[in-house]
Amino acid sequence: MMKKIISYSWLALVALFMYVPVLILAFYSFTDSTTIGAVRGFSLHNYVTLFTTEELRDMIVGTLLLALGASLIATVLGTVGAIGAFYSKPATRRIVETANQVPVVNADVVTAFSICILLIVVFGIEKNTFIPLVIGHVVLCAPFVYLAVMPRLKQMDNGLYEAALDLGATPFQALYKIVIPQIVPGIVSGFMLSVTLSLDDYFISTYTKPATFDTISTYVVNATRGAQTEIKTALWALSTVIFLVVILVVVIMNLASFGAAKKQEVSAYDNREKD
Amino acid sequence: MTTEKKTEKDFLMSGRRGRRKTALSARAAGALAAALVLAVGPVPAVCSGNMALTASAASGTEKVTLRIANWEEYIDEGGWDEEEAIDLDDENSTVILGENSMIEDFEDWYLENYGVEVNVEYSTFGSNEDLYNQLTLGNDFDLVCPSEYMFMKLIAENRLQPLSDSFFDEDTESNYYVRGVSDYIRNIFDTNTINGEPWSRYAAGYMWGTTGIVYNPEEISEEEASHWAILADPKYKGQVTIKDNVRDSYFAALGILNEEELLDPETLNAEDRLERITEAMNRTDEETVAAAEEILKQMKENAYSFESDSGKADMVTGKVLANYQWSGDAVYTLDQAEIDDYYLAYAVPEESTNIWFDGWVMLKDGIAGDAAKQQAAEAFINFMSRPDNVVRNMYYIGYTSVIAGGDSDIIYAYADWCYGAEEDTEDTIEYPVGFFFSGDNADPDYVITAEPDQVNRQLFAQYPPQDVLERAVVMQYFDQENNQRINQMWVNVRCFNLASLSWQDWAKIAAGVAIVLIAAGVFLKRDDIFRKR
Amino acid sequence: MMKNIRFSRKQLCIPYALFLICFVVLPLAVIVYYAFTDGSGRFTLANLLNFFTNGNTIGTLCYSLVIAAVVTLVCLLVAYPVAYVLARSGLKRGPVILMLFILPMWINFTLRVTALKEILTVLEGNLSLHPFLNTVIAMTYDYLPFMILPLYTTLLQLDESLLEAAADLGAGPAAVFSRVTLPLSMPGIISGITMTFLPAMTNYVILDMIYNSTYIMGSLIGSYFNIYDWNNGSMISLILFGVICIVTLITGRGDQNNAENRGAIL
Repeated sequence: MMKKIISYSWLALVALFMYVPVLILAFYSFTDSTTIGAVRGFSLHNYVTLFTTEELRDMIVGTLLLALGASLIATVLGTVGAIGAFYSKPATRRIVETANQVPVVNADVVTAFSICILLIVVFGIEKNTFIPLVIGHVVLCAPFVYLAVMPRLKQMDNGLYEAALDLGATPFQALYKIVIPQIVPGIVSGFMLSVTLSLDDYFISTYTKPATFDTISTYVVNATRGAQTEIKTALWALSTVIFLVVILVVVIMNLASFGAAKKQEVSAYDNREKD
Repeated sequence: MTTEKKTEKDFLMSGRRGRRKTALSARAAGALAAALVLAVGPVPAVCSGNMALTASAASGTEKVTLRIANWEEYIDEGGWDEEEAIDLDDENSTVILGENSMIEDFEDWYLENYGVEVNVEYSTFGSNEDLYNQLTLGNDFDLVCPSEYMFMKLIAENRLQPLSDSFFDEDTESNYYVRGVSDYIRNIFDTNTINGEPWSRYAAGYMWGTTGIVYNPEEISEEEASHWAILADPKYKGQVTIKDNVRDSYFAALGILNEEELLDPETLNAEDRLERITEAMNRTDEETVAAAEEILKQMKENAYSFESDSGKADMVTGKVLANYQWSGDAVYTLDQAEIDDYYLAYAVPEESTNIWFDGWVMLKDGIAGDAAKQQAAEAFINFMSRPDNVVRNMYYIGYTSVIAGGDSDIIYAYADWCYGAEEDTEDTIEYPVGFFFSGDNADPDYVITAEPDQVNRQLFAQYPPQDVLERAVVMQYFDQENNQRINQMWVNVRCFNLASLSWQDWAKIAAGVAIVLIAAGVFLKRDDIFRKR
Repeated sequence: MMKNIRFSRKQLCIPYALFLICFVVLPLAVIVYYAFTDGSGRFTLANLLNFFTNGNTIGTLCYSLVIAAVVTLVCLLVAYPVAYVLARSGLKRGPVILMLFILPMWINFTLRVTALKEILTVLEGNLSLHPFLNTVIAMTYDYLPFMILPLYTTLLQLDESLLEAAADLGAGPAAVFSRVTLPLSMPGIISGITMTFLPAMTNYVILDMIYNSTYIMGSLIGSYFNIYDWNNGSMISLILFGVICIVTLITGRGDQNNAENRGAIL
């Protein structure tokens, strides 16, 4: 019993540590104070700003568009690459795997810096074209898609593919109808992970983005440094909204009472979010 | 000046800011979509290429596109409320109200006066280095507004387009810049040279100011705040902030290093005092840099933070007592604190202050010999220098313009509107600002009757008195070799200094490492240790 | 129509391999090139010597390593019990509670760290007095989920029968933990370490926000980038990459299966 109390209170303590700042943001998002610490009155103006300022809306839409677009490209590339590598000679596969590990283990700053130098200094591609930004995000995401898909390929029943060929399917059909459906969970979690990574990124964006464009993260860093108080406090509202949306998702997932197997998948996805 | 210079007059809320950026970011979203498409494959790329073609065809060929980069929040973006209108007490009782953004007004004005449609692509940067990086890494601009050392660097690199002769023609009515710029500033722009060429050949000033210390007068005396040494004073450990850029911090370190020399009565009374302190505050020899490194390391130990922008908020909320600040941001900080009935003051160190300028310069690469473009760029500078527009910008961003107004008295009237005491105030002082407006500080036409505390508050920050200007030094651009040395010095200062660790620290580290190693050892050998029992 | 084209599954590898060559290998090559040349493109070792002959930059390398090591250790010590309780104490809603620990990550770390900074200011009075402590707290706060997740996954996959067998053979709870659970959760620990150690050496934004004015390795890259010194910046990047390789080698002990393990854990 004692053990249980200790372990649960540890959970509670850690949860508290992680949540107090978020809750403080949420609390202050409903006041009209401009800095945390000075309480003025209750106000919804942060939410009004959040939903009515075009600048903010464009920035959020731009960030989402970038995240979804880059993730889509990364998912296609990473999945196809994983399938190809899976069927290649072990030597080839090892080379691909090693190269794939580089962006995974490398620090974001280094990845960002090297891509910036290559594309902009060496190749002379203008940041204004958004190409460096998109490529940077794809480099960030694709290796994780690869890592998410590969285990699924290994668990796959290889006989089915051979059987399909024997029954007259072309290799392409066999791939499309047999292999892909079996690795869908890996693809989905790879995609979700990509979106999270891209949304959370700061370093890649800051080194490759055009001057006129901001993602949420680069915007936040500038706004917290700067005096754009109105925007800064509106971002508290944004974080509260994100927080509520995610809480909602969790509650729905919980209520929908997934089967045990499903639950496994959910947790598998969770694990991929961690970066 | 190297970092963000953003101020907000109405900091609470109103939908003023960001309109311009909106249109831009909408376009940015389009370009982003195009880039995503491009990345997918060549076929859609052709489509998007066509799209771009159609777009440019639709926009017409007569139009001039002017790409401008300016500091963030460094221009009036319009959208003022009716009650914000400034009723000036000049001869025409001018009323000034920023209805549309300055950019839109310029586009209209240019079409009206020159009969040419101009499309301004306006973007912002956060620091001079940021701008330089943008220029180097694939962003093209026609007209930009860096600080003096950055445009000196650009001049030295031969990247700027000289201003045309017609720009300096004082007989042209619409040449507001040459007709209105303060003689004091004009003189500085004419006499400061780089590679033998005066700044004024390439640059037209925009805003200017000094550097100094914003302080809380209840905790710190004016005397203490008037010396750079306060930044390294252990008495205020963790109570002062320092600028997070090498030039400003190096300047402060030189102020401390040369304190004796600069405050020596012999120097103070010398005919050529300004030349002498200018020389002292621009030293970049190895010995000086090494000595400055030690001072900066002390300052680092002592500082609450190295900041670019957060110092203002930390000052207003009382987290720090003194704050190394640019005059324009000092005004903002003082204004902000006043809202909460918290009275701060601004001091300019006795040793010397760094007088800085932001100026408009045209880029060779951008203008590319296009006369129509250059005309639009120069017209933009003039439009920004038109007295009523000067007031709008000054009101909106809180800095001091280089324009005195020339024939127009609007700008002086605005200074008086800001700082002139109410008529029935009993205790007032006479604050001369003639040096700026007419070149003569004794000019009785330019004396503001202000409340006494303005001698070390906003008025003092915006229009420094004669004695401050006598110690206001232009900090030159460092050449390649010196620049490298000073940057390396800055890296050294900011890096972790192993020598700063005391033996207690080393003992703690050793203990920590030992514990970890023992734990790891026990874990690895746990079978041998525990099984034998 | 596909029949006419000779289609091999292996060929699917080509686009991704090309992609990796262009945007992973090539940038690294460029970094190596810049690291070993000077401004005018001549070969030089000066950048390398600059870094390793300067007590200050070495100091910063040590400082980054210490920060990263402490953050990683604290994260591990905090996260392991959490992951263990969630995965192994038969909580019915384990995955849901786990979600609670990941949730804060969806809010940008810069915002969360701002809030944390205010809390620390209230607790400590003056932030500038404990820069190291604050950095460790802020980074721990930011990277905790990165540590909890892989640990949770490995602990969840732990074969219950092994634990029972160990207990049946007379091992006490402590022995079961140290001889069975802990070794079996090693892949998760390693994954967590790589996920926290490296970012902790480079995430200078957190240091800036928490007013730690000392540079770490990431800030060095940023500062060299800001003064257009790509040669020295590249050298620091290369050195970091070297550190990363060493850490991977130590934690993974060069195990060939490590990458695949990590794949499974991720």
